[in-house]
Amino acid sequence: MNDKGFMAETLRDGATAFTQGRLSRRGFLSLCAAAGFITPAVLAGDAQAAAEQVVMWNWGGQSEECHGRAIGDPFTAETGMPLRFDTSGPLQGKIKEMVQSGNVTADVCDADLFDAIALGPDGILEPIDYAIVSKDRTLPQYALEYGVSIILYGYAFVYDTEAYETAPTGWADFFDTEKFPGMRSLYKWANGSLEAALMADGVARDALYPIDMDRALARIKAIKDDTLYWGSGSEAHSMAVNGEVSMGMVWQNRGKNIEQDTDGRFKLVMNQALAMPGAYIVPKGNPAGRDAVMKFIATAQSVPAQLELLDCLGMTPSNPEAFSQIPEGQIPYAITSAPNIDKVAFNDPVWWGENSDMAVNAFLEAIS
Amino acid sequence: MPRLQIPKLHPGWLLVAPFLILLAALYLGPILNIAWLSFTDPEPGLGNYEKLVTSDALARILWTTFRICLVTTAFSVTLGYCIAYAMIHAGQGGRSRMLVLLLVSFWLSVLVRTFAWLMLLGNHGLVNDTLVGTGIITRPIAFMRNELGVLIGMVHYMIPYAVLPLLASMQTMDSRVIAASRNLGATGAQTFWRIYLPLTLPGVAAASMLIFILSLGFYVTPAVLGGGKVLMVAEYISVQLLVTLQWGTAAMLAVLLLLGVLALLWLMSRFMKLSVVFGGSTR
Repeated sequence: MNDKGFMAETLRDGATAFTQGRLSRRGFLSLCAAAGFITPAVLAGDAQAAAEQVVMWNWGGQSEECHGRAIGDPFTAETGMPLRFDTSGPLQGKIKEMVQSGNVTADVCDADLFDAIALGPDGILEPIDYAIVSKDRTLPQYALEYGVSIILYGYAFVYDTEAYETAPTGWADFFDTEKFPGMRSLYKWANGSLEAALMADGVARDALYPIDMDRALARIKAIKDDTLYWGSGSEAHSMAVNGEVSMGMVWQNRGKNIEQDTDGRFKLVMNQALAMPGAYIVPKGNPAGRDAVMKFIATAQSVPAQLELLDCLGMTPSNPEAFSQIPEGQIPYAITSAPNIDKVAFNDPVWWGENSDMAVNAFLEAIS
Repeated sequence: MPRLQIPKLHPGWLLVAPFLILLAALYLGPILNIAWLSFTDPEPGLGNYEKLVTSDALARILWTTFRICLVTTAFSVTLGYCIAYAMIHAGQGGRSRMLVLLLVSFWLSVLVRTFAWLMLLGNHGLVNDTLVGTGIITRPIAFMRNELGVLIGMVHYMIPYAVLPLLASMQTMDSRVIAASRNLGATGAQTFWRIYLPLTLPGVAAASMLIFILSLGFYVTPAVLGGGKVLMVAEYISVQLLVTLQWGTAAMLAVLLLLGVLALLWLMSRFMKLSVVFGGSTR
């Protein structure tokens, strides 16, 4: 910051000198040109100075405040390093671009575990150091080489209690437009939607993978005329709250908000919800260094941090130590709470990591 | 004053030159890089371009994009023509007021306008609720979350872009020609069809081209108002870049869009001077 301030000051002085005739026009122009060239260098200097902090790349909104309180505060207390945020959304393509361009500005990405499968082997990510991060503090299938699940989120659905006399209880009802007429909504990027279609078609919760694309897409196409597709949580939310759909797939933590916003008119169904491993992944060459970011991830695994994230964001703990401590008010909405954990299906990040490009494109082709 | 060393070069170029070089480096470089990517990722060859003929999905997305852009252009230019015509004939005060209204809508963010349409024409929007409430219809009409919604949103966004070049071409027209036409016994309609419209055709062409080109890259409006079912090229490119990491396909489509726009400009330049189209002088 001082460097940039210095530059601005120099330019201002230069401009004054030029108008007063103390500096030649050529001199002033060279100064401006130099400033133009130097600024990137100054900024790079800033990035270097930033090594004394951990930058989390996430999706913004409430998550900034919640992560700051749940993980940032204890982490700073322990290490003295502050937590900063980049809230522009760590999509796979952006992470790849960042690492390949050599300008790594984030230390940890709040991403999906399948991103670790898709990006890790290409040399985009740092491997997780399980000497610092604990394998026991997540579900066993979700501690992978290049990413570790910190929280779980889920695809469940809400329905309009005034639209139906009998309540829908699972994906079979969701996909049954005769018994349950009305518009419904699915997630636009295939994830969760494919699994829901398979469960609707009678596939068991533990036999979803490898996904039978033809079967899933046929089921999805069958209700296409009655379906809207959402791309963001707020879109899913507004589709339900505005009454555009009478049943809607939602992220389960959104389901709680929708129930509240509609005074209970919409109700969340957790049966057959798909549990998704939200994960932390680390871009290769992260500025804060490996040890610092691994310590950060370990902090996020602690039970208090996990419960704080649940309280603040509705994201479910993935650390088994925290399962029994889920507060009563969150039990109906948490994926790993005692009544829900045996009803949900668990996503397979390996299949998604290896097949997501094919699956997303096939899905888009089917719905558009 | 010493004379300029370089002969026949307008000194203005010297002022522009640094920016031109900077532009070439910062603008042309990445474009060439994208073009290169379209031939090399994931493997060298024409594989990405082959998809154009082998992939039904791609053909459908391109066709959807083309169709929506064409309809958007037709409606925007027609409506824009009416608005520009009204503005020209509204007198000085009226014209300024209309221009203010037009510019205000011009400056509103596309996202705001998109969501405003949802609130207005959505299932439980103002219009549907009123119609259902008064008993005119029993079920809400599906204006939004389909192709109709995309068209409404896009036409609304594009109208100011149509009005401005049309206004320019109408303003530069010699109004004595109209008077002469009436004087020679033509009716109002005849004058419009045979004199007014042909003379403003360059403006119509400019507006059409501008809108078609802008529509090609539309992203937010189809993504939101289309309910996920109306997939246009821009959104597809973004998915290939950010979600499925098929950068080669994305690059190929981007190159295709660029070539399409250039071809359109070339086609126009065959029929009229581009400078005229964009409001320059005919002389």
